[in-house]
Amino acid sequence: MTDVLVYATVVLPLVTGGLALLARGAWLGRLVVAGALLTAAAAGGLGIVALADHADPAHGPWYVVDAAGGVYLLVVAAIGLLSALASPGYLGPARRGFFPEHRSRPVYYAALLAFWAVLLAVPLVDNLVVAWILVEATTAASALLVAFTGSERALEAGWKYLVLTTLGLTVALLGIVVLYALLADGDASLWTLDWDAIHAGAVGADHDAAVFALVLILAGLAAKIGWAPVHNWLPDAHSEAPPPVSALLSAALLPTVMLVAWRTLAALEPAVGGTGGALFLAFGLVSLAVAVPFLWRRLPLKRLLAYSSLEHMGVLALGIGFATPLALAGVVVHVAGHALAKSLGFYATIPLLRRDRTLATDAPVSLNSTSPAAAGAVGLSLASLSGLPPSPLFVSEVLILAGGVAAGEIAVVAVAAALLALGFLGLAHALIEGVAGDAPREPVASRHGERRLIALTAAIGCALLALTAGAYALVDSALVADLMRGVA
Amino acid sequence: MIAEPILWALVGLALALVVVRRRSAGVALLAAQSLLLGAVALDHAIGGHGAVWVAVAILAVRGVLLPLVLGQVIRLTREPRRVASERFALPRLVVALAVTLVAIGLAPPLGLHDAAAGEAALALVVLGIVVAAVRRAVVFQAIGFLVAENGVLLASLSVAGGLPAIVELGLLFDLVVAVGVAGAFGARIHERFGTSDTSLLRSLRD
Repeated sequence: MTDVLVYATVVLPLVTGGLALLARGAWLGRLVVAGALLTAAAAGGLGIVALADHADPAHGPWYVVDAAGGVYLLVVAAIGLLSALASPGYLGPARRGFFPEHRSRPVYYAALLAFWAVLLAVPLVDNLVVAWILVEATTAASALLVAFTGSERALEAGWKYLVLTTLGLTVALLGIVVLYALLADGDASLWTLDWDAIHAGAVGADHDAAVFALVLILAGLAAKIGWAPVHNWLPDAHSEAPPPVSALLSAALLPTVMLVAWRTLAALEPAVGGTGGALFLAFGLVSLAVAVPFLWRRLPLKRLLAYSSLEHMGVLALGIGFATPLALAGVVVHVAGHALAKSLGFYATIPLLRRDRTLATDAPVSLNSTSPAAAGAVGLSLASLSGLPPSPLFVSEVLILAGGVAAGEIAVVAVAAALLALGFLGLAHALIEGVAGDAPREPVASRHGERRLIALTAAIGCALLALTAGAYALVDSALVADLMRGVA
Repeated sequence: MIAEPILWALVGLALALVVVRRRSAGVALLAAQSLLLGAVALDHAIGGHGAVWVAVAILAVRGVLLPLVLGQVIRLTREPRRVASERFALPRLVVALAVTLVAIGLAPPLGLHDAAAGEAALALVVLGIVVAAVRRAVVFQAIGFLVAENGVLLASLSVAGGLPAIVELGLLFDLVVAVGVAGAFGARIHERFGTSDTSLLRSLRD
């Protein structure tokens, strides 16, 4: 049963994407919706199975379905489905961008579905180097999607993203080769780099060599996750990409690559001890410190959301670095809450940018007079992202900081708390100025898509509240105990 | 163990890529480096370490296919003039040498079977990053990435037994896709800006 779900999860979006290249007209839209719904059902079902059976993860020839994987599957399935459903509203009439006019829609959907398929596969694979190959594969599909509009800014963003992340991943691959050399003893094969094999091999391994390998791997993955100081491509790529793609990038790609880093840390823990956690804490603090000042500036909405992603990846790094049960409970809630809130913010920009092109380059001002529905969506998104209660991100940040105190890292917690408070104030300021406010504007007549946006806002609002409530059940639960163990 | 002259040749080719002026010369140097590495891989395979057909695939893809793709991109994106932002070759070379020597000095041994090859591999990765950082043309930045990947290949050849076949093949697939996408970008950038000089890509700032 699990077998079927695993293969369905990965194969369905790939097949749909392949067929999308051949489909024409209205059939393209119907095909994508059908394929996306089936994929989300398979992946969602698999995630639920994973969480229900978290004490006894299912293993296959190349996959493992554990608790962490289950959480990520649910998140990526949800965001992928929403992005696929939001895409027709964004695409509108076909026009020439990066791709010729008659090819642009089929290629967009094919690339989006291929990207989604690989993102769903990454939490499932039980091998470090296979995970690397998949992460490298995401770069190609997503770079094309980032540059989809073909404008000068989009080309710049896409090119920077492609070059910086592929160079980073090359450094990570060097780290993987060093690790392989460390663990291999004449009898090495692909399975030497399975997560549990790395864990077993790390027990007797040389500390310094393992730390060097981990540093290379994390430094390389950091370029893909967007941790400071190798984050330069992040604000550009997430702001120039089509909004459904930005949602997938921020809400799904970044945390998924971080899952690979997390699993590497857990697998190498016997050899590196506390040094690994310290690396995560360093990346976390630097990312927070770099992101927070930008949250105070008057940035265009998508760029603001991109810097918020940098901030939240920093928070997740802190949670993983603290590695206590409270912190890991916080990480789980944070991944889900951030995904929901961030993607809502990006989806809201679809109707906004269609009405008012200046919002692509200028900071938003009193959106409630331009479009009350979009203002509501943006307001909910920014309020949740800032950590305003009852946002689940408030609960998760408290859990992570509490976990840091439990781990004894008081100084780190103090600095992080101060930075998070400043970040909250910055986003609250952007929220008040951007959403409310008196500047009179002509409300634009079109109501198309507003009802859908209101429904989406309501649904995500309920999901966020449910997550906040569920967070209380998560603390001290057996699920978190299993996450503490790392991959089985 | 890989012979020292080969390691010096590989690093020398990477240094030449920092200064060479024409893009076609750059692709030729990259092809030479990849072919040399492919020959080493084939030699290892024939000697019993690793599968011969994988080594042939590495030779064919890295040494022939990818340079051909880049050559095609050059043909499609004729530059109107020399990439103007690249004027000073000597400072570039000095920076490249300095960064490489510092990296080799600071890094602990990679723990590979062959320590000299490990240092050369690290040098290639660093030089690949330097080429991508200091050269302006899109094709040169793609070459930089491929030089860094050649460094990782060199490191993997120095591991007892080499990397598993499926990993090498997966990596080759990723490389072909990445270079294909880079080529598409090169064509679009050239179409939009009239040149593939990436120093013109500077409008996104805060």
